[in-house]
Amino acid sequence: MERDGHKNKTRSPQLERFLEGWSIFVQNPLGKIGLTLLVCFGLMAACSFIPPLLDPMYDPMTGVDPLITRSVGPSSAHWLGTDFMGRDILSQLLAGARVAFMVGVSAAVMSILLGCAIGMFAGYMGRVVDTLLMRTADMIMVMPTLLVVLILSSLFGQLNIWTIVLIIALFRWPGVSRVIRAQTLSLKQRPFIEAAKVAGASHMRIIFMHIMPNVLPLAFLYMTFRVTSAIIIEAALAFLGFGDPGTVSWGMMLQWVWKTGHMFRAPYWLLPPGLCISLITLSFYMLGRAMDEVLDPRLRKEAEAE
Amino acid sequence: MEPRRFIFRRLIQIFVIFFVILTVLFLLFRLAPGDPISRMIDPDMTTEDAERLREQLGLDEPLWVQYVYYVRNFFTGEFGTSFHYGQPVVKIIWDRLPNTVLLFTSSIILSAFVGVFLGKIASWHKGGKIDSVLTIGALVTHTVFLPWLALILIWVFAYKLAWFPITGMVSEEVWLDPEAGIVAKALDVFHHMALPLCTLFLIHFGAYLLIMRSSMLETLKEDYILTARAKGLEERVIRNRHAAPNAALPVVTSIGLSLAFSINGGALTETVFTWPGIGRELVFSVSHNDYPLAQASFLLIAIVVLLSNLVVDVLYAYLDPRIRY
Repeated sequence: MERDGHKNKTRSPQLERFLEGWSIFVQNPLGKIGLTLLVCFGLMAACSFIPPLLDPMYDPMTGVDPLITRSVGPSSAHWLGTDFMGRDILSQLLAGARVAFMVGVSAAVMSILLGCAIGMFAGYMGRVVDTLLMRTADMIMVMPTLLVVLILSSLFGQLNIWTIVLIIALFRWPGVSRVIRAQTLSLKQRPFIEAAKVAGASHMRIIFMHIMPNVLPLAFLYMTFRVTSAIIIEAALAFLGFGDPGTVSWGMMLQWVWKTGHMFRAPYWLLPPGLCISLITLSFYMLGRAMDEVLDPRLRKEAEAE
Repeated sequence: MEPRRFIFRRLIQIFVIFFVILTVLFLLFRLAPGDPISRMIDPDMTTEDAERLREQLGLDEPLWVQYVYYVRNFFTGEFGTSFHYGQPVVKIIWDRLPNTVLLFTSSIILSAFVGVFLGKIASWHKGGKIDSVLTIGALVTHTVFLPWLALILIWVFAYKLAWFPITGMVSEEVWLDPEAGIVAKALDVFHHMALPLCTLFLIHFGAYLLIMRSSMLETLKEDYILTARAKGLEERVIRNRHAAPNAALPVVTSIGLSLAFSINGGALTETVFTWPGIGRELVFSVSHNDYPLAQASFLLIAIVVLLSNLVVDVLYAYLDPRIRY
């Protein structure tokens, strides 16, 4: 696939291939369900701006209903009820969708770019650079990310949401870099790289101008699984009480339910955030599996044979 | 290469990796904002004790001497005193380790066996109703948010139905009762373990099921399965004797690969159920600024992760004679 992608600079065959992949993708039940769920969450994130505009008491973080001082169940003013301070649960839930996308996608993009760069360097440079980078990758791969972030926050105090995203990205690149390294090793043997060398291109130029365009699409295939793990880690961290105190995430909402002892009393508060985390994880996971099936013809044939 | 040499080489590798982790932790500790002394010394300590600790950590010496002290303290098991418990960290860790090992290994073994069993069934009924129910069930339980699942299980089975205790590992009335025998005590622990075990099981078995299913489908295309069919063997025998043992190998690999994920889950489960294990101790010590305890728990978990990976590799080579180290 990459081979054609490099030689063929015209647009139409690529578009055609994309459309073909897309049609297989939407025929796949996993892909369909996953995509539908994701669109719903996307709408939730988009709607998160509306409630605070209607009334300041719907602000997910600072808005408090003046008439309510404890957690109450669903009502016409608060469709999903309020938390222990009288804040609206629905608007928190919507804001949580925005945060989940932000954390998941940015951590995933960062870890993929990092993994891609490291994989290309390791594969292209070979020898010592390769060994060193890959041993580091092995080491990071076996570390439980959540506990690493925990020990870091014990050293550096409360971490803000972007630091958390950055740390997650720093610990999720090894998987991508291995695949990209393997791909780079085979690309390195191709005539066009040889030609570029003869033409006097520098190593940097070869890596970024000639190798990168060929491996980047492959790297982004790994995106969905990175998104899932980033969302879960952020949620778990917030649940344990080490999240960014200035951000309303679903994990944070669960932490409030748990820490204020409402879990047996307020199912309207306990159920929605956990359900959202689980479903968004499920939808990205399904999307990833569906994509695997589209791109791995072996799996596809198996599905067609049914 | 013979097995013993392989294990020896891997042990050296593990030692090097661990040393890197130890060093990085040391550097981060010095890099962190604030005074390193206040981090290691309990605010409630007497000045004499504080002086002694300063000396032991070499906090007045240059950085490299501090590093030598740090490594020496690690290998002599001097992790300092926990601020919260007022006890040596080593003793606390040593107390908690068996509890974590009990919960963790039993959950992994249970979920791997059930996952393999159900994956086998799913592959056999490929495309049918049983297959879709199992596959979808596995996807859903595998992606459910663990702490939330734990809270729901507590809410339903411990609070509403009151079948199981809400938290903890033992009930005092059983353990303080001089009459109670070892069986009663063991049963009490299992009673407390049921829900945490169930949580970890539900989270893990799905991944093993999915891997077993696809690996089984691959294996059934192999030539030796065709041979077995040609011999006229029963389908059940082909599935259980010829295909399943080979198909289960990727599950063993995935146990090793998903170890980091499982350990995160273990720490969350221990925290929600207040199971007195290492993971909960790490979470607890971080939220109580008990740095000596946090550091020791983290390092112990790192050792466990590295060694378990070795165990999985050795197990794999043992199960698959085609693999030579």
